[in-house]
Amino acid sequence: MFDYKRFALGRIASFGTRYMPFADVACKEVPLSRLLRLSLFQVTVGMALVLMAGTLNRVMIVELRVPATLVAVMLALPLVFAPFRALIGFRSDSHRSALGLRRLPYIWKGTMLQFGGFAIMPFALLVLSGYGEAVDAPRWIGLSAAALSFLLVGAGVHMVQTVGLALATDLVPQADQPRVVGLMYVMLLVGMIVSAFAYGALLDTYTPGRLIQVIQGSAVLTVAVNGIAMWKQEARNRSRAAAPAQEFRFTDAWARLAGRTGMVRLLAVIGLGTAGFGMADVLLEPFGGQVLSMTVAQTTRLTVVLALGSLLGFGLASRWLGRGGRAMDAVCLGAMIGIPAFGLVLASAVILSAPLLVGATLLAGFGAGLFGHGTLTATMQAAPREQIGLSLGAWGAVQATAAGLAIATGGVIRDLVLAAPAAGTTAASPYVPVFALEGGLLLLAVIVALPLRRGDPAAAFGPVRAGAAEDPGTDCSLAAPGP
Amino acid sequence: MSNDPDKVWPTGLTLREAEEVHSYLIDGTRVFGVIALIAHLLVAVTTPWLG
Repeated sequence: MFDYKRFALGRIASFGTRYMPFADVACKEVPLSRLLRLSLFQVTVGMALVLMAGTLNRVMIVELRVPATLVAVMLALPLVFAPFRALIGFRSDSHRSALGLRRLPYIWKGTMLQFGGFAIMPFALLVLSGYGEAVDAPRWIGLSAAALSFLLVGAGVHMVQTVGLALATDLVPQADQPRVVGLMYVMLLVGMIVSAFAYGALLDTYTPGRLIQVIQGSAVLTVAVNGIAMWKQEARNRSRAAAPAQEFRFTDAWARLAGRTGMVRLLAVIGLGTAGFGMADVLLEPFGGQVLSMTVAQTTRLTVVLALGSLLGFGLASRWLGRGGRAMDAVCLGAMIGIPAFGLVLASAVILSAPLLVGATLLAGFGAGLFGHGTLTATMQAAPREQIGLSLGAWGAVQATAAGLAIATGGVIRDLVLAAPAAGTTAASPYVPVFALEGGLLLLAVIVALPLRRGDPAAAFGPVRAGAAEDPGTDCSLAAPGP
Repeated sequence: MSNDPDKVWPTGLTLREAEEVHSYLIDGTRVFGVIALIAHLLVAVTTPWLG
């Protein structure tokens, strides 16, 4: 007799493995196409960053007439979540799941937070600006709704990026990690550049309806692209699912990570260097405009040159570290290139030479690219196999907090000098202490980093997980389809 | 196909796995529901409908 139940089960089982969002086997070799697909999550992260810090920054101030200080506070809100990246990473490391997943649920939750924030953001902004009947609405509604939407998007971005990077680290062998880091950085830049142009074109003629369409369109795009990115990326791990529940505390896990040689030092280097490079991000354009009287188009090109330099840095670091170079060498070289770069920026103010500023910007971008790539690669290589999420969370927490604080500090220093009625101030004088401080921070980063470079790499950041591999990956071409 | 007594028909998931898949569905519904509610409230504040 025909066994209907067996037949149906077989069909459903084969159907299920094809259309389930998780991979069935862990592969030793992950093809480049799959890594490219995974790196799409960085595109949506870049999109969210550009939308909030660039496009909405302007739209809120110019079109919606929200006070600039309120806008600055709203945009700084996601920074509150940056230190929690370490906690998110830790939670994903020790996630209990019957399905044996640990990264996918968090990427999905982060995506939902991002989507939810974008979904309510346009209406929150319209209420905040007193559009339509909202003029009579109590003030707290607009304020709290806008704050909630920015918090949701920010938390989602932190979550997706932290756990996404952890998943990428899980997937590739250590020798390939430099290339993956390069890929992730490049995709972040690509997402930022493409979406900056797209938002500029879409919001060329601003109407409230258009604002709603653009932001909600970003929400849908985020879910779609992140869905494609995470599809079938993480393998189910039955042994992890079956393992008895182990209660780790965050403080214990953190103490274990911080107890590793060089880990705290590495985090200090990341904080110092990121602050050093990050301070210039928002000040280069006004510097070019006010001191060297460059036009808006020219100063915008300055930002493009900075991005171009970073791309060159990522490319070089990928090749160099991919061929066995040491990550800490790239970190030191990047920071050391940054110091003369900011010196040249200051020199361009003295001799009033715009081409020199462009060259210095390219050099600074190049150094920042090398430094960023080197620190992320070093973090990945230093991470013990079972603490990848926590390590990358710590990297993200330090990096995002340092960058945010640096941008704020740079702006405050400039405004303070600008406000001080000192005699004989030139147009350049508000910027001089900022760029000098950047050079100083980078010098400090090099000094802190040098012992890591001199130290025995096998002891500090060597291939520690060769013997302790948790997932004995199978060769995909040989593995039979799962039962 | 194994005849694992834990596996429930028709998906072949164990009971705990099935409950976890279900929990994602429930969580998603809740989150999207709350977000839709907030969005509707905000739209009602800017352009009130129903009078």
